[in-house]
Amino acid sequence: MLRSDRLLAYAMILPVVIAVVAFVVGPTYNVATLSLTQVVMGQERGFGTLGNFRALAADPVFGLVLQNTAIWILGGTFLCVTVGLGVGTFLAIDSRMTGWLRALILLPWVLPDVVTAMAWKWMLHGQVGILGQTLQSSGLTEGTVSFLGDPDLVMWMLVIVLIWRKMPLVALILCAAIRSVPDDQLEAARMDGANAVERFRFVTLPNIAFSLTAVTVISMIWITAEFALPWIMTGGGPANASQIMATYIYQQSFEFFNWGVASAMSVINLFMLATIVALYLYVNRRSWASEESK
Amino acid sequence: MSPSINRRQFLGATAAAGAAAFLPFSRAHAAGGDVSVWKFGGTPQEVEVWAQRNDVFSQANPDINLNYSYFNGQIRRQKILAGFQTNRVADVVIAFGQDIPEFAGFGMLQPLDDIAGSRIEGWKERIVPEVYQSGVHEGKLYALPTYVDMASFLAINLDAMEEAGFDRPPETWDELREYAKAMTKPDRPGIAFPATTAPVDINIFEGLAYANGGRIFDEESGKVTLNDKGVVDALQLYIDLIADGSTPAATSLTETFFRDTAQLFGQGRSAMWIGLSWLNTPWGVNEDVRWTGVPFPRPDKPSGSYEPVSAIMDGTAMLMISSRSKNPEAALEYIDFWSQNPQLEIWGGQPEIARIPAGKAAWDNPELKEAWPNWVSSYDAGTLFKGGAPMPRFIGVSAIESALGTAIQQAVLGQKTPQEALDEANAAAQTQIDLIRG
Repeated sequence: MLRSDRLLAYAMILPVVIAVVAFVVGPTYNVATLSLTQVVMGQERGFGTLGNFRALAADPVFGLVLQNTAIWILGGTFLCVTVGLGVGTFLAIDSRMTGWLRALILLPWVLPDVVTAMAWKWMLHGQVGILGQTLQSSGLTEGTVSFLGDPDLVMWMLVIVLIWRKMPLVALILCAAIRSVPDDQLEAARMDGANAVERFRFVTLPNIAFSLTAVTVISMIWITAEFALPWIMTGGGPANASQIMATYIYQQSFEFFNWGVASAMSVINLFMLATIVALYLYVNRRSWASEESK
Repeated sequence: MSPSINRRQFLGATAAAGAAAFLPFSRAHAAGGDVSVWKFGGTPQEVEVWAQRNDVFSQANPDINLNYSYFNGQIRRQKILAGFQTNRVADVVIAFGQDIPEFAGFGMLQPLDDIAGSRIEGWKERIVPEVYQSGVHEGKLYALPTYVDMASFLAINLDAMEEAGFDRPPETWDELREYAKAMTKPDRPGIAFPATTAPVDINIFEGLAYANGGRIFDEESGKVTLNDKGVVDALQLYIDLIADGSTPAATSLTETFFRDTAQLFGQGRSAMWIGLSWLNTPWGVNEDVRWTGVPFPRPDKPSGSYEPVSAIMDGTAMLMISSRSKNPEAALEYIDFWSQNPQLEIWGGQPEIARIPAGKAAWDNPELKEAWPNWVSSYDAGTLFKGGAPMPRFIGVSAIESALGTAIQQAVLGQKTPQEALDEANAAAQTQIDLIRG
């Protein structure tokens, strides 16, 4: 490559580099330094301390927050991708019905977060919610059910709503990937006597591995960043039963003005997410390598 | 990080010095230019009336370009804080009295006494002294109140009450339990109370606890007092009402906040509910629901360590001037406009009957007398604010109220006894307070 070409290439990517530094690296660095600073009510009371992390370790709510966050991110991602894979596989079948469904399935995706959260909040409400009343009138439950007021149910209800909201795009991406699997490979497997499950396991899945990995990582990041849904539906309640990292960071930052602790949580959140994503990518890279060597 | 502190301090000091240098010069001029106003929260009627009065202000002050925005009350802290940090905060902020200590501690407000001059006397003349005091923090006036809300009150369905054989609302906690039990039907609980972590729901509970001699924080010692007997016994009242079978399911209470509870009462789906002084007035009730609002029954024998109060109160439309206001003269003009009787008497022609008015003249209004005869007779007798106290307000109040909200939910859900829940909340809140207060 000529020197002038290289310079042109650098010049063309420069705006992106500047944007990434300004909007990603800069704020991340700022949060990292804030996490090592005692900042309360906007007043900085000393840099170079692990006090914020110690405060989190001593906070009895933080353990519950971590547990809920694990359900939210890992449970949400697993179910979102699993259900999305199932729905995507179904949508990949050519028929008039699936043609319509491919368009209709995006409806939950296009609704604003606030509308989704409010609608589900009312549908799940213990006294006026249509779901609880339907269950009661059909004789399945004795009384109405407070899905969001019951600490044992609330986290899983949030995950269900999350899947309803996020799964359609996952399903469509995987549907597109499945439809791009070469027909000759599937036909060859069929001729070799492979049944539908075996064809899916040994032909389709390896072919969509890259899309599956990408969509899993993206889903995980989406779900980690999701705030409006849990905050509007439950506000972290009842009794912190649905308090997750995103809502607790918000509460510490903007309700208690406790920015140091909130930044420490953000750093932990970032570290956890990066670890999970790196591990996932590493495992899948090995599986791709083994596929390539076959 | 140290250099950034110094830089900020330097910038703040030089900005303040610059402002101080120009202040005498600029005050000599009549107010003009742009003034931005952020109002947070309010009943639907209030929001409408406020905008109408703003038009009157603009007509009366053609040199001032009023830029008014309305926001949901729940986001005020975030919005104001973000605006302050990015130097985009409005000149006038209309927020809650409970916010004053933290905003003042944060350096976000300027004391009105320092800039209002002789206007202060007029404000004192026109505003009820007890209400005026709700804008004062550490001896300085930081906010001009236009009304206050009081806690706690009880809305009662009169048909349900008479059907249960009673001829007057309950007056003590024991009577309340008896009434609630007697008024309960299979498809209609005798009483409902909101138990989410929404600030208003917590204020409603605080009204009960303070009336029982409880407090959530002792300013003198700096100690959180959530596990004071007065607070514990108030929470026990909630638990007793649930145990009596007089309420909706406990899990439902923790997901139903004050507005939902008011609507259930308005639809005849609960016979009583516990709320702030406005009760159902912002949203109304079904035509077939005959109801009244009364002060919440008193504890039979207050058990807290502090003086029992008759009610706690707070203004939720208090006008404050940002310390970063670019046009404090115009901001002051706007505040002075809202201190005038036509604005304080927001019942005239546009009856807003949900709030306890700040203006002395408003108490002569016949519409107010018709809507809340008990308030007016108490005010005339000088007893309305007697024994009243401000709602909790101090630096760190949100942290303590958040811990209290969690404790209320834990007890309501039966996860812990009131004492256990409040002991735990007390310890957690104390940690937060120690951190915040350094």
